[in-house]
Amino acid sequence: MDIDITEQGGLNVVAISGEVDLSTSPKVRDALLGCISGGKGVIVDLSGVAYIDSSGVASLVEAFQTAKSKSLGFALAQVSDTPMRVLKLARLDQVFVIYDTLDDAVAAMA
Amino acid sequence: MNNQLELLVEIGRHFAATQDIEVTMGHALARIAELMEAEGGALFVLEEGETEPHLICHASVGPVDIKGLTVPADKGIVGRSVTTNSSEMVRDAQNDPNFDTSMDAQSGFTTRSILCAPLSVKDERIGAIEVVNKTGGDGLFANDDLTLLEALAASAALAISNARMAGELAEKEVMRRELELAAEIQRGLLPPPGEDDDFPVRGVNRPARVVSGDFFDFFIMYDGRIAFTLADVSGKGMNAALLMAKTASLFRCLGKEDMRPGRLLQRINAEVCETSMRGMFVTMVAGIYDPASGRVVLANAGHEPPLHHSTDDQFKTLEATAPPVGIPPELTGGGAVPEEVLHLNGGSLYIFTDGATEGYVAPGVELGSDGFMDMIRTGVSDGLTAQARIDAVANRLSDSGQVLRDDITVLVIDDAKPLQNRQSHDDDVIMNDTMKKQIEGASMDEGAVQSHDGSLCALTLPARASSLKLVRRAVGDTAAACGFSQEQCQDLMLAVDEACQNVVRHAYAGVADGDMVIDIRREGESYVVLLRDHAPPVDVAKIVPRNLDDVRPGGLGVHFIREVMDDVEHLSAPDGQGNLLRMKKVI
Repeated sequence: MDIDITEQGGLNVVAISGEVDLSTSPKVRDALLGCISGGKGVIVDLSGVAYIDSSGVASLVEAFQTAKSKSLGFALAQVSDTPMRVLKLARLDQVFVIYDTLDDAVAAMA
Repeated sequence: MNNQLELLVEIGRHFAATQDIEVTMGHALARIAELMEAEGGALFVLEEGETEPHLICHASVGPVDIKGLTVPADKGIVGRSVTTNSSEMVRDAQNDPNFDTSMDAQSGFTTRSILCAPLSVKDERIGAIEVVNKTGGDGLFANDDLTLLEALAASAALAISNARMAGELAEKEVMRRELELAAEIQRGLLPPPGEDDDFPVRGVNRPARVVSGDFFDFFIMYDGRIAFTLADVSGKGMNAALLMAKTASLFRCLGKEDMRPGRLLQRINAEVCETSMRGMFVTMVAGIYDPASGRVVLANAGHEPPLHHSTDDQFKTLEATAPPVGIPPELTGGGAVPEEVLHLNGGSLYIFTDGATEGYVAPGVELGSDGFMDMIRTGVSDGLTAQARIDAVANRLSDSGQVLRDDITVLVIDDAKPLQNRQSHDDDVIMNDTMKKQIEGASMDEGAVQSHDGSLCALTLPARASSLKLVRRAVGDTAAACGFSQEQCQDLMLAVDEACQNVVRHAYAGVADGDMVIDIRREGESYVVLLRDHAPPVDVAKIVPRNLDDVRPGGLGVHFIREVMDDVEHLSAPDGQGNLLRMKKVI
């Protein structure tokens, strides 16, 4: 699993690729919470995610709630089929703000 | 008289050349009876075994064949001849109080006169030879006849005795060969030395006799940890060797099923006690060494305390934590043998039998624990490999010119090289080679896919986050083979992953060294996953899927499992140990 953090329009874009499971999700959690504590909104690019489990989803939920409490933006973008399926199973596709493309997300949140 | 001499020579030659003593006895008896003009004759051999001594007829000539007839050794004329080791001449059998008339009554033969000579060599009583009813002359045997029969009997006795000795020698040779074969099989029970010079577990075994009551063994577990054992069966003979073979097999079989040292020794004890001969026991050490951390988990059932030699040259002994294997559990309260944990930190652990410390290095001088430690210390400072260090101890004892008092067995676990590897590879090894091999070796059983019944894939894995990738791959491959769509395969991977996570995170609650066993099966039109652990039983009532309206991190796993699977059941584990989860999805 890889995490790549870039800046776009005053936001952190966190691109996650590979498999997010019990052994790798703590790194996702640390990266997301790190960005939020830096005071910037976060767009999570899930286009490269081949697998995500409940611990990965939990990291997203925790980051989302933390951002909300600090009135920072938090959105998912380019969610590939596999993570989308898991979000739907968890009924979280209704909860997260999800954009089809990164540009859409930046345009809406910047 | 010439005839008689010729017969003596002929019979002597026959006996000397015979391959089959029975045939020769029959042949000789026929010639003797003919020469002596006897109506019949018989040759009896004394059997003194575990039963009452008795005489068995091995050859018979005359109108009635009595071959195979058995009479008590103290009965009749023959019995008297054997018992007193002297010849008998009975001119009027019917009126002799010693004559056993029952035989004649049965056979219809009338015995009139008997000549009987004992067969004996020095003090060894072999039997007797008798001839009955002289047909020529006055129908009575004469003293000359008796002298001749005695001479023939002496020759026959010597031949029978020689044949017996040759038989015993041949039997001894067979026994010796059998013993060597047993020793060969026994050596085969010890693990092969292996080609990897850096392999950290090493052993040496020198039997005091042909076979050994000691053994050591080790095998690499699925996750790269190494299971090991060393044991000493009381005694040194064939009985000890057989019990050693049994114990060694139990270690391999049961250890590969559930390798927790304390529990393993408990199970081996139960098995040995169930069938073992009384009074024999086995002192035994079993443990697991993890080259990735240098950690050793050890259980010791009544064995010599192993020695930990640290890198700063300190020796520490690890005392036994339970009585030996073979002591009935009801006497000791049963239960698992308590385990000890130690970290080798680059040092070595020596496990050995008392044959190593109590062996003589000079007449009446034992090597002793101090001598043993000195040799290890010297070996380390001379830069010897672990194998060379323990070989040096064994060589010192077996080359001392003193007779080996007991089998010598030493096992060493040398953490020096693994420590170097740990220091040079800081990054987490997610999947080691052994695990990779397991997933490749445990590829699907195509037969089961096609036959719609049976195990598709079975894996035993450490309950760690790093095992989950392997689980998902096994599920993905088998589910696809069963015809599930790609999305369904992904769902199944998620569900089984979540179930395994619960074992790792909740059942074992982060305790190291736990196992989980995943058995993926095809049962008719169902895809079934059985997940087994050895953790304390989980309270099933407390496992509930979370309310999805309540958005918070965590607690989603159970929901995923129930969403994906058609049926989820918490079963009781076969032997009441741990938890068993059965998940089913209709294909």
